[in-house]
Amino acid sequence: MYYRTTASRSIEKILGSRGGRIIVNPVEPLNLPQEVTRYLEFHFTPIVVPSESEQRIFLTFPVEIGVFLQDKRGFTVIDIFSFAPQKYSLYGTPDDGVITRHVDSDVFDSVPYLVDPLATGVMELTIFNASRTQVEVTRAVFENASLNVYYGDFVAMKGRMEVYSKAIAETTTLLTPFREGMRAAVPLFASRQIALAEGLKYLMEHGVGG
Amino acid sequence: MEWLDTVVYGEVTYYHLLIFVIDVIVAVVVAKAISVYLKKYLSDRIEKAELDIIIRILQVVVILIGFYIGLPRFEFNLADLILVGGTLTIVIGLATQKMGSNFVSGLFLLIERPIKPGDTVQVESVTGVVQKIHILSTIIKTFEGIYVRIPNETVFTSEIVNYVANVARRFEYVVGISYQDDAGRAIRVIQDLLEAHPFVLKHPSPSVFLDELGDSSVVLKVLIWCPSRVWWSVRTELLQEIKTAIEDAGTVIPFPQRVITLQEAPPGR
Repeated sequence: MYYRTTASRSIEKILGSRGGRIIVNPVEPLNLPQEVTRYLEFHFTPIVVPSESEQRIFLTFPVEIGVFLQDKRGFTVIDIFSFAPQKYSLYGTPDDGVITRHVDSDVFDSVPYLVDPLATGVMELTIFNASRTQVEVTRAVFENASLNVYYGDFVAMKGRMEVYSKAIAETTTLLTPFREGMRAAVPLFASRQIALAEGLKYLMEHGVGG
Repeated sequence: MEWLDTVVYGEVTYYHLLIFVIDVIVAVVVAKAISVYLKKYLSDRIEKAELDIIIRILQVVVILIGFYIGLPRFEFNLADLILVGGTLTIVIGLATQKMGSNFVSGLFLLIERPIKPGDTVQVESVTGVVQKIHILSTIIKTFEGIYVRIPNETVFTSEIVNYVANVARRFEYVVGISYQDDAGRAIRVIQDLLEAHPFVLKHPSPSVFLDELGDSSVVLKVLIWCPSRVWWSVRTELLQEIKTAIEDAGTVIPFPQRVITLQEAPPGR
């Protein structure tokens, strides 16, 4: 029997499997209150990146926690919950864009102090401006298949964004732990293993500013 | 095994028949194997309806190839066969013109993709969720749970409203408050509520404004963008929340009213 009670909701499930073990770890924050998107969008104070140069910033994001049952057949998601509020947005136009999990974040130049590490994680984002002009960046959109979540004292991701123009950029997160000793979270999306092998990136085609 | 050389009809022997039957059986088995293989490896990449059509087309092609390989055993003249086949095609084509039209429309529906299974649509007077797109018809389940089969030709030539083709859509509420209440405060209460709701999109941002000074109330308009997949549930739950929030803030939602001034009748009448 599995019980979970939070301020907003309680759930109760009977687990059919007698064997296996329960794993609790952070997952890609794209599931609550229900899954409507594959994209995570960071909005932050404009960062001016000169041509052909790199800027490293730290952002925060809401943490979602997954409860998995691991048995011989693999991992089964039992529950996902969060201590952070959710908000969604639209990247692009209604006919051509995508729904995104919206994250408003302050910009930090080092790992910020986290009041509640169970509610807030840290993204280290390296922005490389590959264009010939200076670019102002205020948003970064990541696709779920390219999100690699690590955890230890807090939840973290290392992201990279290559800006080709004001309109086009490519994003991905790295397959390396944020810090030595951090563990990789159990992949939530079934397709992720394939995506990781292919080093999937997301092409932002609706601009990096605004 | 001499019986194999026994003539059955014309120059066709049991041997020819046996080879033909084996050809057809092999073709059917190969077609079935292709079907299973494609279902296994493409089911998560292609919509089921489209996959079914691809599989059927491939199966027909494979079986026709089997027939074609088997036919020379009968020493048929291919030119005669084509002539007969062509005539038959015209006859069958005339007899099944409507079916052909539906089939072609079905193909165009799959190519143009104005609708797909799972979409909430309106086709002519039918509104509901698309269940399946078959070769000849489209199945829609209405919100009352009624099964409706619409010929593909009708779907293709009709005006289609697809409520979820775009990832986001807008809806609106009209909220009337009393003239005695503070409209600015009511607007702030509604804005706070929308900000807290996860599926009220941050961008495009919602809009709440004073729209009209009505007969009985000050009319506020609330415009909200939300993901198309959840718009109906958001629309239904938010109105209740708005009503509760503005009432909790002391705002009155008035009934329609008319002010009647009674004058005393002049003396002597």
